[in-house]
Amino acid sequence: MRKYEVSDSQLISLYKNGSEDAFTELVTRHKNKIFTTIYMIVKDHDLAEDLLQETYVKVVNTVKSGRYNEEGKFLPWVTRIAHNLAIDHFRKAKRYPTIVLEDGSNVFNSLEFSEDSIEDRQIKEDTHTLLRELIQELPDSQREVLMMRHYMQMSFQEIAEVTDVSINTALGRMRYALINLRKRMDKLNVAYDKNLYPE
Amino acid sequence: MLRMIKTFTQNDLIRFVYQETHAEENIEIETAAIFDEELADELNALKRTISALDLVERTPSFKSIDKILSYSKSYDLHSSK
Repeated sequence: MRKYEVSDSQLISLYKNGSEDAFTELVTRHKNKIFTTIYMIVKDHDLAEDLLQETYVKVVNTVKSGRYNEEGKFLPWVTRIAHNLAIDHFRKAKRYPTIVLEDGSNVFNSLEFSEDSIEDRQIKEDTHTLLRELIQELPDSQREVLMMRHYMQMSFQEIAEVTDVSINTALGRMRYALINLRKRMDKLNVAYDKNLYPE
Repeated sequence: MLRMIKTFTQNDLIRFVYQETHAEENIEIETAAIFDEELADELNALKRTISALDLVERTPSFKSIDKILSYSKSYDLHSSK
């Protein structure tokens, strides 16, 4: 996990005092994790973009109107908003997420691979797609904990409370999620390539 | 199953790789991993799997981020309507 010089709570304080730069830093710092949380649920890039904006409209409204609870952590709070909006979207539409092809990804997602050849880029994209599919194939209870801990940055204690299980059960589900993922990655030869997984 | 020197459970290792162990536990686990190859391998495998999870992160468009930042900057305008 990354450590930052200025903590999220310090940035929030600055933002409450009118610093838009602090807000820019907060948004930039966490945009991928929050966007990924939404995307994993809706599996549609454009819809995920819309829901990300909706999420932050709620964040801005809450903080600027003085209703933000200082006691909670910023990232778990925002990702919970994002998660709820994504789930609400399907409740309102009265349907479950449909599989959308990966060609909906936008040009900005390719920028990080700009130094790679087209072939390398394709391999990485394929690997990322495969990993996303492997996560989607996990049993619901394991995927839920994995999403909450890894992308929503909730502690195991918080996950246990939200999902109404003991902390040992939450930890056990995470453990099995990681074991299952590793097994499937090994089986499908998603190699632990040092270029892909720098140590 | 792991044959560990001390009383670390698999759940302890999960808490460790997600930095939810206390400083004292960290030292115990790190020390044990020096002497217990199996434990070290298990920790490395967990870390690699977790690193792979970061790879699936997606990036939103600049346009969306701009809209979010603009909304914040103009909040006073639209909230006073």
